[in-house]
Amino acid sequence: MMLLRRFEIHQPTSVAEAVQMLAHFGEDASFYAGGTELLLAMKHDVLRYKHLIDVKVVSGLDSIELRDGILRIGATATHRSVERSPLIRSHLPVFVDMEQRVANVRVRNTGTLGGNLCFADPHSDPATLLLALGASVVAEGPRGRREIPMEDFITDAYETSLGTDEVLTGIQVPAATPQQRAAYVKFQVHERPMLGLALVLETSDNGESFRDARVAVGCVSPRALRSAEAESLLTGSRSAVEGNLLRAADALADSAELMDDPEGSAEYKRNLIQTFLRRAFQKAVGQP
Amino acid sequence: MSRKKPGEFQVVNHSVAREDGVAKVTGRAVYASDIRLEGMAYAKLLRSPFAHARILSIDASEALRQPGVIAVLHGNNLQGIDPYYGHAVKDHPLLAIGKVRFLGEPVAAVVAEDERSAYEALESVRVEYEELPGVLEVDAALADGAPLVHETSYAGGSFRGFDDPGSMKASNICQEVHLEWGDVAAAFAQAAQVVEGVYYFPMAYAYAMEAYVSIADYNDSGLTVYSSAQHPFIVRHDLAGVFGLFLNRVRVVVPFVGGGYGSKSYTKIEPLTAACSWKAKRPVKLQLSVAEAMLTTRNDDARVRIRTAVDREGRLVAREATIHLNTGAYAENSPLVARKAANRIVGPYRIPNVKVDCCAIYTNTVPASSFRGFGATQVTFPGESQMDELAEKLSCHPVEFRRKNLAARGESIHPGLRPLDADLAGDIAMVVQALETDKPLSKGHGRAVACSASDAGSDPVTSTIVHVYADGSVSVMTGSTELGQGSHTVLRQIAAEEMGVELQKVRVIGPDTAVTPFERSTGASRTTTLMGRAVLEACQEAIVQLRDMAAEILKTAPENLILERSGVAFQDRRLSWQDVLRTFFGLSDCSIIGRAYLRKVGDLALLPVFWEIGCTGVEIAVDAETGRICLERLVTVGDVGLAIHPAMVEGQDLGAATMGLGIGLYEELLYEGQQLLNGNLLDYRVPRFSDLAPKIDLLLVQNQDGRGPYGAKGGGEGSLNPIPACLANALYQATGVRLRRLPLTPERVWRALREQRNKGDNVGH
Ligand SMILES: Cc1cc2nc3c(=O)[nH]c(=O)nc-3n(C[C@H](O)[C@H](O)[C@H](O)COP(=O)(O)OP(=O)(O)OC[C@H]3O[C@@H](n4cnc5c(N)ncnc54)[C@H](O)[C@@H]3O)c2cc1C
Repeated sequence: MMLLRRFEIHQPTSVAEAVQMLAHFGEDASFYAGGTELLLAMKHDVLRYKHLIDVKVVSGLDSIELRDGILRIGATATHRSVERSPLIRSHLPVFVDMEQRVANVRVRNTGTLGGNLCFADPHSDPATLLLALGASVVAEGPRGRREIPMEDFITDAYETSLGTDEVLTGIQVPAATPQQRAAYVKFQVHERPMLGLALVLETSDNGESFRDARVAVGCVSPRALRSAEAESLLTGSRSAVEGNLLRAADALADSAELMDDPEGSAEYKRNLIQTFLRRAFQKAVGQP
Repeated sequence: MSRKKPGEFQVVNHSVAREDGVAKVTGRAVYASDIRLEGMAYAKLLRSPFAHARILSIDASEALRQPGVIAVLHGNNLQGIDPYYGHAVKDHPLLAIGKVRFLGEPVAAVVAEDERSAYEALESVRVEYEELPGVLEVDAALADGAPLVHETSYAGGSFRGFDDPGSMKASNICQEVHLEWGDVAAAFAQAAQVVEGVYYFPMAYAYAMEAYVSIADYNDSGLTVYSSAQHPFIVRHDLAGVFGLFLNRVRVVVPFVGGGYGSKSYTKIEPLTAACSWKAKRPVKLQLSVAEAMLTTRNDDARVRIRTAVDREGRLVAREATIHLNTGAYAENSPLVARKAANRIVGPYRIPNVKVDCCAIYTNTVPASSFRGFGATQVTFPGESQMDELAEKLSCHPVEFRRKNLAARGESIHPGLRPLDADLAGDIAMVVQALETDKPLSKGHGRAVACSASDAGSDPVTSTIVHVYADGSVSVMTGSTELGQGSHTVLRQIAAEEMGVELQKVRVIGPDTAVTPFERSTGASRTTTLMGRAVLEACQEAIVQLRDMAAEILKTAPENLILERSGVAFQDRRLSWQDVLRTFFGLSDCSIIGRAYLRKVGDLALLPVFWEIGCTGVEIAVDAETGRICLERLVTVGDVGLAIHPAMVEGQDLGAATMGLGIGLYEELLYEGQQLLNGNLLDYRVPRFSDLAPKIDLLLVQNQDGRGPYGAKGGGEGSLNPIPACLANALYQATGVRLRRLPLTPERVWRALREQRNKGDNVGH
């Protein structure tokens, strides 16, 4: 308990080599980035690996770039580097606002965005926001490179659609446009949030009305999810949307199939979704 | 000799640099886990997967064949020692014998050349269990025909008074304590107002940064143990019993300890580590993780049924309580916690009729033991909640109501115990002023003030030696443990003050039972009061010797000498202590010894040694939508007689109040069936810096009314006790919702608010 079993660390010099190493060691191996989740799980003996392939040392995998209106964040960029990136700050401030509140500074300094997404803990802040932002991730494997929309990436609690032979190389998020009004809010008492809620609205008339809405809720279901019904309720004139907030929250709560668990009862979680959708809306559009 | 007052001290009563400060912040301070002995092997523990099960067989043969493995210990191969220990009741086997009594109980220990080999070999120890029905809660444990956690009774430990387990064989009752004075039935019958309720205090873990660690070396000359233990002398006693050794053959050394908060008190993993060394014939280290520490000890969670009555004038007339403590699988210190809970439920009030029945009950859960403020925390929550409930019934301000009922200094709150030795009315007035209770409250905010009095100091037996050297330096030999509370600094200050030397010339040598004189324990907030006083008296005893030596040198009678700050004067001659020693012995590197011991006589005959006061105030903000409570303001009072080190008293008060905040708002060990759900720091929520109030006032009261040095008395636990009640009372003030179960989690608060709204709606229709 709380002691690591023996393992070997391997340091690939390229993505291709990392993929080869994984193919070579098979089930005995896992990728290893910041280790904030992985090593903890190994210390608790819920995961056992003889070989860890350290993707952090692959150069360039932590870059942050803006190309064609898309922010491209390398898989091994740490939360801290994302939080402090001037590029992201000016092109997607909501992402910085979310990252600043992930975990604590030690975890943010070590933990990577890729590791967060690949671990697929249902309590991930980035996963919820990225879903609402229409992001996708990039994977590379023996069969080459592919893009996976966030919708299809995390499939269940601690499950992703990444192939057992693939490595995550990056995250792609559309930069904010002047029409975007976005907010990420969360409720957190314990080490992980109890609720994460991301709202991304599009307005062409400076907040008078919203022509498009994306809303995602995290932590309360095995994976973060959106609700088409909620999103349509959040589209329209500002006053209509304001009037629909409670119904939209209920639609989100319904699609999350809330359950009673040690974190809270289903009805309490529903209340949190109601409360925080309203807070997200106020934060996104600015209080009148 | 008249006593010095604040402002007249040279060293004492100043916030000097900590004795251990530089070593700790530079990482050079030595803790038990830093110690490496030649040939040291490492132990790891296999723990029970069941709460209650018979052990059918244990097969360690495969484990013994694993690389690096030296020995495997389990309940079937401990012949040659007495494997049971316990200072109150000797009910605790160092490894499960015959059956396991809680999930996580150590069943086998593997000793290997290195920690990882020991750990990896654990899965090759084969244990066959037959699961037994268990009792996980107090009600289940008390039910007719309940499965028994212990079938047999045990001998008492080193503490007297607990060696008659009475009905234990037939029930799960570990210890009963009954307290009664006056005529409670008559008082309730005549009362003007009565409040009654059931309150629940949660199961909590006293998180310390350092988890348990000990290193044992059993060899021909005896047993040496380095440990993170808070009470090395009690550990020594228990170890002597396990191995049948004389006290002088057991040496317990305690380097710096990384926090205790009660969890490090009494014997924990030392007998097991020592048994590993005895079996492996090598020094052995056993280091637990925090998750394992959470399977080692916790507080007694408590259910308190209590009612309190007042007369028409608003005077308390009676209190009656039934306290059920969930003591877990072994007695540990719970018999004492039960006694303290019963004593402390009275609070600092004058109550003429009292009846308390307290019962510590065995269950198949992690054994409970001391926890900062023990007993008092569990009962101050209900007691002080009811003070506010009664005040409301009387339409009286809760502070006014308390003032009316607080015992004055010198007044008895508990027949047979020392009268109150503090001015609580003064303390409360300071809290009220700092909290600015006259200012209007914002919406959703609530304020409350609460207090407590704990019979503190424990058994006042202690002793010390002070070496005075011919070069002007001084060493204090103390059996008190430096847990981070700063006792080494305080003792150093006292010696420097008395011997008239600079602080830097005083060295404090910490607990080593082969070297430092006897000290009963480092707990019950006693060290400054008792060890501090012993150091002062030992210095004075050394000074008497030095004065006599000086008289011989000066060829006059000792009475003719005038005592000065660090020497004597006679006519036009002055001799420093340094001069005296050099001249008297004719050597420049010699030393003498000053000694002192304290025991239960004179002004220490009456217990408690002192009443430890808790008096705190809070202002909270309640988010009605989420139920979350935020602390906006905290006021504590350190009523410590004299603050030997003011900043450290403040630090203790803030720390204690913050622990109270943890239990009040977040902390609770949760079981699902037999499984502890949140037995790790990711899931068990301890307070963080961000939880601290934006505005904090840490006040000091220095009435010099204690029996410690310069009128000092202890602190460090008091400010924890009233905080949970403060929070619950402030919540009531903010929202009108009364919660009788801690912690006040957001969901609990939200539910209560919703219930209140629903009720309101119903009334409206
Ligand atoms: C105390 C604490 C508090 C936390 N609080 C929060 C919080 O408030 N909000 C929140 O969102 N998160 C929180 N987290 C989670 C944190 O964000 C993650 O631990 C971190 O981002 C994981 O990154 P890592 O680099 O350490 O991953 P690792 O632990 O190294 O890896 C995690 C998993 O991802 C896999 N992996 C990593 N990189 C790749 C890759 N490039 N390709 C394929 N597989 C890969 C690994 O094999 C492993 O299975 C918290 C964590 C801790 C320990």
